Amino acid sequence: MSEKPVVKSAEQLNDEMLSSLRAPTWRWYLLAFFLGVVVAFGLYAFTHQMLTGMYVTGLSRPVMWGFYIINFVFWVGLSHSGTMVSSILRLSQANWRRPILRAAEAMTVFTITVAGLFPLIHLGRNWIFYYLIPYPNQRGLWPNFRSALLWDMTAIVTYIIGSSLFLYLGMLPDLAVARDRSRGWRRKLYGVLAMGWRGTAREWTVFHQASTLMAALIIPVAVSVHSIVAWDFAVTVVPGWHSTIFPPYFVIGAILSGVAAVITLMIIIRKAFHLEAYLTPMHFDNMGKLLLVISLLWTYAYFVEVQTTWYAHEPIEWEVFSFMAGKYTPALLLMLFGNSLLPIAALCFRRLRRSIGVMLVVSLLINVGMFIERFLIIVPSLSHKNMPFVWGTYRPSWVEISVTAAAFAGFALLYTLFAKCFPMVAVTDVRELEVRETEVTMGRADLPSIAGKD
Amino acid sequence: METLGIFEDLETSVRAVDRLIGEGFAEEEITSLSSVPYPDGVIVRTDRRTWFRWLTLVCAAVGAGAGFLLGAGTAWLYPVQTGDKPIVAYFPVGIITFEITMLFALVGTIVGMFIEMKLPPWGERPYDPAIAEGCIGICVTAPSAERKNRAEQIMTETGALRITAGGRP
Repeated sequence: MSEKPVVKSAEQLNDEMLSSLRAPTWRWYLLAFFLGVVVAFGLYAFTHQMLTGMYVTGLSRPVMWGFYIINFVFWVGLSHSGTMVSSILRLSQANWRRPILRAAEAMTVFTITVAGLFPLIHLGRNWIFYYLIPYPNQRGLWPNFRSALLWDMTAIVTYIIGSSLFLYLGMLPDLAVARDRSRGWRRKLYGVLAMGWRGTAREWTVFHQASTLMAALIIPVAVSVHSIVAWDFAVTVVPGWHSTIFPPYFVIGAILSGVAAVITLMIIIRKAFHLEAYLTPMHFDNMGKLLLVISLLWTYAYFVEVQTTWYAHEPIEWEVFSFMAGKYTPALLLMLFGNSLLPIAALCFRRLRRSIGVMLVVSLLINVGMFIERFLIIVPSLSHKNMPFVWGTYRPSWVEISVTAAAFAGFALLYTLFAKCFPMVAVTDVRELEVRETEVTMGRADLPSIAGKD
Repeated sequence: METLGIFEDLETSVRAVDRLIGEGFAEEEITSLSSVPYPDGVIVRTDRRTWFRWLTLVCAAVGAGAGFLLGAGTAWLYPVQTGDKPIVAYFPVGIITFEITMLFALVGTIVGMFIEMKLPPWGERPYDPAIAEGCIGICVTAPSAERKNRAEQIMTETGALRITAGGRP
């Protein structure tokens, strides 16, 4: 018979799960400083671009969308899964979701925030960014309600607000726990954010209904955001972009990169805050299965797109594809390896799904592959969209690379700060499971069981 | 007037609730305070009907109107003439209407939830930080001082660690 697990008290569970809120160590300050320096350099590069003009980037005719738009699509994609995975697991009442929720939801808020900056950085004349905001265009041409920029702006603002509310809603009972265990400015902050939550039976009833409703509402918003980004491409007549498969293909790609990013963050959080007891190999096993299914779907979608282009053999479409496959062969192969071959080969095996090291490599390579995929969607199509005498190519400048590095560092910095200020594990969710977990005797065995409906 | 008994575990709190009901306190007068949710009926029974989802629906309808007016109304009020393109473009109007509808619905859900929970509270309510550490609070709303004293007596007898009338969360 298996050994019975040690039952921990509520106080012990609180201590362990709120360990991220302890005073920062010198390592934390060092990390925050390093990330801050990278962000500062990115800000310097952006200021340089704003003062001197867009010629300091690698953008030139015919490739007028480069690293900034690649970053925009990539970060929107990353943002896709956090809230969506959390919502789907909540609606499907998957009990293993509980320790994962917060990491996933927080990731969405910060990645969509970073994504939202890139259209502004890409604008050129950044000081007239308000042309993007949908308001009555009494000045004539701008804001132009036919422009795709307005769709993006509206969708991103909705998603930032929606995913922030979703994150906040999930944190509400945890903020009350943190309030009762803290002092000084933290107590004031958590007190205000907890809104006087006491955990009455009525509050829990309303809270659960609201959580379910929010989960159901946020899924179509998440799907719409990446579909809208895909339409930015698909509604043009640029070869390689003008395709009906683009919105679902983008959504699948977004879920793939988002789930992979959640796994990467889970591994980092697990190690940094010693949450091995809560983020167990079982969680990675389940996330690995999810990743495997999405990787298969992505492979299918990519195959369908390439196969259709190849069989139809329309000259301009085939020219773009040939150019992409010829000039960027190593990148294309790395993308196929990272997004398709490696995850499918590795995640079929339970032992590999339960290996933290393997999951880290697979999840990181998927996102390397997804970044390359965004590059290969945007640059080859623009390079060869016109007559041969205006074909061109693109190489990012130091400014674009610095801003990209700053985006990664900025996301990491925001996440690091969040982890120090707010509970990184859904404390009450995990404790609820501990309370309801019991053993029932069936025949000759004692089997674990969850009491009551979720 | 409210009074709160703090219990160390589920069993003692349930015993207190049973005694309170046995002494004539109505289910509606008793509620539990806990840092984890328990299925309805484990400690107390509560009204599971809520109205805030109607507010979500109303907000979604208002959002649909606002989104449509923003997308189509402004284009119609300030027309941008470009070739034979329509002044009011269906596709962008559809996207903007959908997004604003969802935005209003999401915000309406959160606002409705807080209104229905009566949060944030106006005044001080009985509370004890020990609830965060796994203790369970049984809160009784008594119509008179006599009934309040009786409730406190029952909770003490059934194993309450302490009785509190103040606290504010």
